Order: sequence, then C-alpha cells, then structure tokens
Amino acid sequence: MAETYFLLAATFIPLLLAPIAYGIGRKLGVNIATWFTFGALAVSTGLLAVPAIAIYNGSQQVYSESYIWGQFGNFGLRLDGLSLPFALIIYILCTVLALYSKPYMVHKVSEDLPEHKAGHGSGATGQRDESGSHDNHNGSSSQLTVLETDQRVKNQMALYFSLYLAFSMGMLGTVLSTNLIEFYVFFELMLVPSFFLVAFYGYGARRRIALMFFFWTHVGAVVLLLGLLAMGFFAGGFDFDTIKANAANIPAQWLPLIVFALVLGLGVKLAAFLLHIWLPYAHAEAPTPVSALLSPAMIGIGAYGILRLWLELLTGSYEQYSIYISMWGLSTMVYGGAMALMQDDIKKVLAYSSISQMGYILFGLGSESILGITGGTLMYVTHGLGKAILFMMAGSIILQTGTRSMAKLGGLAGKMPYTAVLAMIGALTIIGIPPTSGFMGEWILFSGVLQTAVADMDPLRTTMFALGILATVLSSAYILWMFKRIFFGKIPEELAHVKDSNRYITATMGVLAAMTLIIGVYPDLFLAPINDYIGGMFEGHEGVLPVPVHAEGAENRMAVEPVITTGVLAEAAH
Amino acid sequence: MATGFEGIAINAWLVWILPFAGAAIIAAVARSGHRIRDYTAVGFALASAVSAATLLPLALEGTEVHSQVNWISSFGLKAGVLADPLAIVMTNLVAWISFLIMVYSTGYMHGDRDLTRYWFFMLFFIGSMQLIVMSDNLLMVFFGWEGVGLASYALIGFWYYDRKKDYVGREGHVAGGIPMWTSPTHAGMKAFLMTRAGDTMMLAGMFLIFMHAGTFGFKELLEDPSWAFAMSQQNLLVPAAVLLFGGAIGKSAQFPLNEWLLEAMTGPTAVSALIHAATMVKAGVFLVARIGPLFFALGTIGAFSTEQFFEVVAWVGAITAFLLATQALVNPEIKKVLAYSTGSQIGYMMMAFGIAGLSLNFVEGYTAGFFHMMSHMMFKASLFMGAGAILHTVGSRFMTDMGGLKKPMRKTYIFMLLASLSLAGAPLFTSGFWSKDAIFAAVLDSGYAYSWPLFIVAVVVAVMTAFYTFRMVGMAFFGNKSKHIEEMEQKGHHVHEAGRSMLVPYAILAVASIAIGVVGFVFEAQIESLFAAYLAESFGIGEEEGGVHIAILPEGDRTFFGLHPIAAAASVGAFAVGGALGYLFYIARKANPQIISRSIMTRAIWKFLYNRWYLNTALYWGGVILPLAVYRFVWRYFESTIIDGMNPALQYSMTYMSRIVKGGQTGITQTYLFVFAVGIMIIMMLLLL
Repeated sequence: MAETYFLLAATFIPLLLAPIAYGIGRKLGVNIATWFTFGALAVSTGLLAVPAIAIYNGSQQVYSESYIWGQFGNFGLRLDGLSLPFALIIYILCTVLALYSKPYMVHKVSEDLPEHKAGHGSGATGQRDESGSHDNHNGSSSQLTVLETDQRVKNQMALYFSLYLAFSMGMLGTVLSTNLIEFYVFFELMLVPSFFLVAFYGYGARRRIALMFFFWTHVGAVVLLLGLLAMGFFAGGFDFDTIKANAANIPAQWLPLIVFALVLGLGVKLAAFLLHIWLPYAHAEAPTPVSALLSPAMIGIGAYGILRLWLELLTGSYEQYSIYISMWGLSTMVYGGAMALMQDDIKKVLAYSSISQMGYILFGLGSESILGITGGTLMYVTHGLGKAILFMMAGSIILQTGTRSMAKLGGLAGKMPYTAVLAMIGALTIIGIPPTSGFMGEWILFSGVLQTAVADMDPLRTTMFALGILATVLSSAYILWMFKRIFFGKIPEELAHVKDSNRYITATMGVLAAMTLIIGVYPDLFLAPINDYIGGMFEGHEGVLPVPVHAEGAENRMAVEPVITTGVLAEAAH
Repeated sequence: MATGFEGIAINAWLVWILPFAGAAIIAAVARSGHRIRDYTAVGFALASAVSAATLLPLALEGTEVHSQVNWISSFGLKAGVLADPLAIVMTNLVAWISFLIMVYSTGYMHGDRDLTRYWFFMLFFIGSMQLIVMSDNLLMVFFGWEGVGLASYALIGFWYYDRKKDYVGREGHVAGGIPMWTSPTHAGMKAFLMTRAGDTMMLAGMFLIFMHAGTFGFKELLEDPSWAFAMSQQNLLVPAAVLLFGGAIGKSAQFPLNEWLLEAMTGPTAVSALIHAATMVKAGVFLVARIGPLFFALGTIGAFSTEQFFEVVAWVGAITAFLLATQALVNPEIKKVLAYSTGSQIGYMMMAFGIAGLSLNFVEGYTAGFFHMMSHMMFKASLFMGAGAILHTVGSRFMTDMGGLKKPMRKTYIFMLLASLSLAGAPLFTSGFWSKDAIFAAVLDSGYAYSWPLFIVAVVVAVMTAFYTFRMVGMAFFGNKSKHIEEMEQKGHHVHEAGRSMLVPYAILAVASIAIGVVGFVFEAQIESLFAAYLAESFGIGEEEGGVHIAILPEGDRTFFGLHPIAAAASVGAFAVGGALGYLFYIARKANPQIISRSIMTRAIWKFLYNRWYLNTALYWGGVILPLAVYRFVWRYFESTIIDGMNPALQYSMTYMSRIVKGGQTGITQTYLFVFAVGIMIIMMLLLL
C-alpha cells in the first residue's frame, strides 16, 4: 500500500493552523476566523473520512500509519472499528461547534469586557441584566472605545479559536494513538487547551473552576500513567501491539493493580460516581460551545480508554472485574439521574445528565457480552450528538434570555420554535426514544446486559438489569421536566419579546439533529464497524457472549416437526 | 403468500410511510397557506386509508403479504411489513377512523394558531400506529410504540401554555395531599413516563426473546420454535410473554398503569378521540392480538404451559374493567367519563384475549376480543367527537354545566345517543351488544376454572356501563339548562349545533355502529370465519387437516341468532338494570342523585370512587414525592457536602501543610545550622549502625 498520511494530516492540521487562526482573528475579524477554523476542521474531518469510508465498505479492517518514535517504540495513528466512531464524532462535533461558537462567543466575550461590566454592573456571574439588550453595551462610550472594544473582541476570539483547534487535535490524537506514551501525551494535551478555554471564557469563578478541573483530571491522568508505565515495563514496550502480544508476561499480582490504576484514572475523566467532583462545575461554567465539546466528546474518551487499554490489551482480566464495572456504571447512572432532578441551572442538569450517561456506557462495558459492549460504544456516538444538541439549546437560551435558571424561564416553545424542536430531538436521543440514535444505543446495550444475566442465571446481574432499565425512566423524567420548565407553561413577562436564535445556532443544531435521526433509523453506519471490531476483540473468549443469531433456513414449519431442535442458541443459553 | 418489495407489498409499506411523509412536509406546506396545509394533512390521512383499503381483498382471500428489506445487517435484522388478515383489518379500522377524526379536526381546531404542529403530530401519531400494525417484527413495533407515546405526549400537552381552562379535574380537588387537577404539560409528561415504565417491561421481554431466537420477526419466531423450547426449559417463556404484556398494560392504561389515561383529557378533544379510538390505547390491544396466538400456538405445540400468561391478561383486564367502571359512575367531566369507560372497555378486550388462551376454543375468545375492539373504536370515536362538539359550544367540560342540550343540539343528541346505546349494549341492534355478548359467551364457554368469577365481574361492569352511559346522556342533554348555559345566553352566546365538518364524522361512525349492530349476527360470523381461517393458516390453530392439529371445541347450542342463552340473558339484564337506574336518576329525573349524600356510608363510597380509589395518590407519594425526597436528601447531605466538600478540603489541607512547613522557614541561621547538625548526626549514627 502506498504510504498515505490521512490521519497524520487530520490530526495535526488543526494544531498547525492554530497560530494562523490567531493571526487571522486579530487582523481580519471574527467572521473570517470562524470560517477559517470551520474550514480547517472540515478538511480534517474529510481526511478522516477517507479511511473511515474504506473501513465501512469492508475493503480494509484497520487503517494505520506508523512512525519511529525513539525509545517509546512507534508513534502510530490508527483507525479501526473501535476508534472510528469516537474519532468521527469528535471531529464532527468540533466542526459543527466551530460555527456555533461565533455568535455565542462574541456575545460572551463582549459581555466580559470591562466597559460592559462597568456599564451594567452584572458581576462575575456573567449573566446579562434583564433590561440590557445585545448590542447596546457600548452605547454611552465614545467612538474610540467602540474601536478598541471591537479590537479586543477580535483578539479574544482569535485566541479562542486557536485554543479550540488545539483542543480538537488533542481529543483526536488520543483516540487514534497506538502507543501508551502517545496516548498519555495526547490525553494531557487535550486537557491544557480546555483548561485555558474554561479559565478565559467561562462563567462564575472560572479560574478557580478551571483549576479544579485541571487538578482532578490531571490526578486521574497521573494514576493512569502509573498503570501505563507498569504495563509497558512488564510487556517490554509501549506499543499496543507489543503489549497485546506480551500481556501474559504481566505478573498476576500486578495485574489487578494495573487494572485498578487504569480504571481509576480513566474513571476520573469519565466522571464516574464518586470521581465526578469536577464535572458539574466544569460543564456548567465552561462557555457553552466548550461545554458541548467537553461533555459528550471529551469525557467519553475515558470510555474509549477503558475499551482500548483494558478490554482490548488486557482481555484476560476482563471477566474477573466486569461485574464491578457494571455496578459502578449502574450507580453512576442512577446517581447522575437523581442529581439532575435536583438542579435549577440548565447546564447543571445537563452536566449531571452526562454523568448518568457515562454510567450507561460503563454499564454496557461491564456486561460481558458483545451486544452490551457494542451498545456501550454506540452510546458514545448517540450521547455525543444528543448532549451536544442539548448544550447548544442551553446556549441558545442563554443568548436570548440572559439566564439559565429554569425558575426564571418558561413557555419559550412559542418564542423559540426552532430551538425547541431541535432540542426535543436531542432530548429524545438522551432518553432513548426511536427513531433517534439513542434508542439504538440503549436497546443494544440493555439486551446485552440481560443476555449475560440470563445466560449466567445470575440474580445479581438480573437485578442490576432491572434497575438499569428502570433508570431510563429516571432519565426521561429529568429531561422532560427540564423541557417543561424551559419551554412550557406560562411565559414570564420579561421574556415576552424573546426571539429565536440566528442561523449559526439553529442550523448547526439542525445538522446534529439530522445525524441522530439518520443513525437512529439506519444504525449500520456506526454499528457495523463497531460490532465487527468488538466481535473480533473477544474471539475465543468464551465468557463474553456472542451476538445471538437467528438460525436461517430452518424451514420446518413448527407444525411439522415438534422435536426439540436444540440450536446454537439453546447451547449458548446454558 | 407474496413476498418482496413489489406489487401490493408497496401499498402495505405506504400505509405507514404516507402519514410520516405528510408529517415531514407539513411545515413546508404551511408556508403556502393555511387552507392548503389543512387539506394536505387530511389528504395524506386519506391516501394512507386508501392504500390500506387496497389490501382488503387479500384479507378476504385469507392470504398475506410479507415484504422485507435489510436493516441492521450487523445483527442480521430485517425491516418488513406483514400484512396478514389481522393487520389488514386493523389497519383499515385505524386508517378510516383516523381519517374521519382528521376531517373533524378541520372544524374543531379551526383557527388555532398552532395548527401546523397539530397536523404534524396527528399525522405522526397515525403513522406510528400504522407502523405498529404493519410491522413484521417487534423492534419495528417498538419504533411505532414509542412514536405513539411521543405523539400523545405532544398532543396531550398541545396547549402547552397551561391556561386554567385547559386543565382537567375540579380546581382545588386534593386527594390525600395530591392535587387532582392537572395542567396539560403535566398530564403529557405523566402519560409519557407511565407508558415508559410499561415500555421498559416490554423491552425486557423483547430482549429475552431476541437472545434466544436471534430475531424479532413474528414470522421467523413462528417458523423455528426452538427458541421457545430453550426458553421454556429455563422457565422464561411465560415471564417473557408477561413482560411484553407489560408494554400493553402501559399503553392501554390497564391496572396498575391506568392513571395516565384519565389526565390525558387535557389535549384537544379530537386528540382524545384519536388516542381512545384509533391509536394509542388500541396499540396495546393489538399487541396482545399479535402475540397471543403466537404464544398459544407455541404452548400447544411444545406441550408446555403458557396458561399463566393468558391468566394474567384476563385478570388484569377484569380488574381494570371493574376499577375504571366504578370510577366512571361518579365523575362530573364528560371527557373523563368517556376516558374511564375506554379503560374499562379495553379491560373487556383483554379479558377476551386472555380467555381465548385459557379455553380450548381459541378462535371464539379471540374473535370476541377483536370484535369488541372494532365496535369500541367506532362508538368511542363517535362519542368523543360528539363530546367535543358540546365542549366547543358550551365551553365547559363539566356535565353539571350542560343540561337541556337536547333541543339546541338535536343532531348531536341523536348521534351521541346511538353511540351511547352501543356503549351501554342495547340489545340486538347495537354493535356493542353483539361484541360484549360474544365476550360473555367466550368466558362461559371457556372451561377455565375461574370462569364464573370472571363472568360475574364482566356482568357487574356491564351494569355499571349502562348506568354511567345513561347518566352521561341524561346530564348533558336532558333536564333544565344549567346556570352556566343561562349565563352564557345572557351574554349573547347561544348554544348551537356543530358545523358540518364536525357533525358528519361522528354521524357516520354512530350510524355505522348501529348498522353493524343490526346485522350483528351475520357480521360476527363473518369475522369469526375470517379469523378462524387466519389462525388456522398462520398458526395452525384449529387446523383440520395435515400438520399438528390444535383442536378447538365446537361452540355450544346457539339457536337464537347464535346467542349463548346465559350470556345473552345476563347482557340484556345488565343493560336493563343499569339503564333503568340511569334513566330514573338522570333522564326522567324521578329520583334525585343527591340522595347519596344523606348517609355517611354512601358518601364515603362516593368519595373513594371520586378520588379514584386513591391510586393516583399512592402513585404520586410512592413514585414522585418519596423518590424526590430521597434525592433531595442525597443532594444536600452527600453531593453538596461530601463530594463538593472535597475541593475546599483539599485546598485547606494544602494551606495547612504549607503553614506547617512555613513554620520551619524562620530565617534564623542558628536554627538552620542546628537542624543541619542534628541531621548529620542522625545520618552518621544510621551509617555506623
């Protein structure tokens, strides 16, 4: 095969163009910078799509690029059935949200300027006074200040876009990497720009929160690093392939520690129950487009790490601990859902909802069946789309009403019809209602969980399944209640003249909404590669249940032959 | 048997695709004018109905169309439509009644500013229901299943601005600490969440079947029953069937998930008609009609028992029928009386499907259940639309605000009376009589050990049905004008007859339900032979030659119009007793219903029924208030204290540590030297040791 550089280009184009985006932003203005960022990411997504299409067609199982990387082994980038859904969703979200950022961030940045603050006295909360409207923040200033203000907005936006590009690169690199050290480097690289994005552009006590976000996820990453180093030393190399081949060399007494370190380190990123300290703050106070990236795209990378580093590389130890992962997932699901019901801030509801959704993924990953793990992976895709739409809705509401407290909202469905309709699609995705992709993720996941429970005749797993599927009702409850408080009921007087957001916002939401509907009706787009890859991952592992198949061609009508034909499935069921 | 994606199969696909297509374009069409939009919506409903009608000859021939396309190739799942006689009859009922309701809507909803949204969800609703009916596998059924759930959520809460006049329940009515009057959006959410609880059960049942069979397809499940053997060995077959029925319990508002239906009256009345007559609640009944024969046939073939499943179905139906009929006796809101009655009548249908599986004559019970569903669809749609016409002109949902409407709304009165007679089961000329009688007969014929208790419940419910039906008619149309109407007339509003677009649909359905009643005997025999052929052909139930013969008993002696003597006597008796009481109190007004307030006992019973057996109260305390209290506790004392506390704890511990360390930084050289010397000494001692 001729040497190609699709992945290398896709990963590093955003990083290389980040300084250029900064320059363009300063000199040529926000509009051009937005479209430049969008273009850079769109091209990168296109580059990513080339090998992705080859994999989807089945002409290639794995597409990888590899470069010598000194002592660490190889610096590789690899797209396969597992990294494909993650990589595509990350870049699609980044691309779409780049456009969404424009109106939102301009508004946010101008609002944060000192003149604006002085003029309106809306403190550090960043919430606009009800009386003010968008663009009169410089009404009393002189012409000179207008120009200065304008330039400052440009500068801020330029910085925003360059950080944004670097952030995208970090996330993509993590899921494409083929080497433990490389994984760790990218894992930390995505943290740095996101720290600055929260610290510079967030709400509330943003510096403090950014620090907290950085601290906890960094602690997680260090624990992860310990696990990775131990893995590398015992296996004699950091390349995934080396480790996979030499996994047997890891001493049995170290294996639990390594697994523990991996799961704990990635669990912080996932914000699993008890390790979720940072998430509600970071998600709620980050600028909304960044929340929409942090929440669905970034924290799910924790799930990717568990899949890749533990389930794939150390397959042997999976069955031993899977039940605990399921339990952890279940408690995360229920806990996140319950806490989401207690919130008044839209973004906090969504933040806790993300915790809950990560619980679903963990629940699936611990299921010991191909269906469950496939479903868990598909949940990343669907949560990515659904939660991004909901965060974009939150942004649209903040932009138009200046508040995100649901106590002050209500009845907006008539005033903001596009936002309401598109957000409903996102809400259905999170609840898991067909024809959105949420249902596809959920049914596959839960049927996998039940499969193991029934095949093992395990009362614990059966109970967990029952609680888990009831937790979907909890998810519906907090989402619908949020919807009711924002969009239905009486409209408060001060919101009587609210208008819907502009096209940058509604059109980008629309793109994602269309995607979730398409995947919901035709899931093969993502499901086929995932399912093939995960099926291959556990080939030969009897403990992990395969996808049930219907015995095709059994033409005997039931009336003809009432003999017990114990098929493959009856066997599997024992 | 035709397969593939050509010829008549396309029509079977179009039945459900057309309404969805209509919904998809309605927003775009709305730009070119309101009139065009309304016609488009009704037009798509009509087109769907026409393509359903083109399938009818197939049903009469007893053939079927099964067309599949690849869908989720990863798991080898296919999407498909299965137009067998059951589906074809059902799809026609749904399509044509929905079409009439759409026509009615043009009048009823005229001038509403959100009509585009209304048409979107109505078409979406119809499409989803048709999807349930036509699907050949459970997974696609579930798509439709959630589709109707979503549409009902959106339509129940259609007037999302929650004006007081759109609430249901009497304002200020509180039972056990729970308000019993509900806003539209609250009601929509309640409907969604309660049916969702049922859906989780249905999903669990589907998964159980899928993991053993590797398919969701009805045909595939029947062709190769090895999965059922595997499941019955693990004692999972009946639980799976019951779990599937759990979905039907939620959607069809059966006990214990019945509470949502009563609040679902907040939507426009046309929506109520659609939910009660053609779509939502009938979805559960249809599901039972779909899976009932499957499990019956499997049980008989494999000689394992599926009886418990049918027992559950029958008793859940019986309990619901009784429960909701008692509540209907005392409710003052016309739409709510009809809603209770729907739940109760669906209980009858479930009872019939349950009894079918418990008896040896599967066909009789099955036909009875389906026949009752048909007649219920017609008269209930008609009644709701009539009630909507009254609401439209009177402007109140309370029957105490009506009264004396016989004269000003003569036509509505006549048609509602006809439909009411059908609901009450007036002997010999109403479809309701024949279908209810068929259920009674099926119960008596079944040979099920507890058929008599079941029969007694059924008869008691019939008495109550007749009573509350007459009560409703009496309160709305007879007696003197209520204060409310007098006030209205003083203000210059006059009670007037409904417009033609509203009147005609319910007239058609009321007349149809009587027309079927007049030829009831013949009609019932027709359906029975249709279903007998279908069940024999598809499931081998009652098949005479070849294959395994699942025997059915011949019916008992039926000399007079094929009526079962005891059943017919009970049915006529129930109508006479209930009807006479209702007539006495509410039409002739010879006796005053206020007498119940004289004794403590009757008042207590009235209150118990009026508060809906306190089921709603229990539901809210156990399902909403208690969990929320627990969550709030956790939020306050765990999440906000311990988890959130980690950050300041970390911060302060760091500060504290730094303070300790800072203590050593005295800047005094002597101290440093002293510590340095001590250190050196310790190290030297360690080395020497």
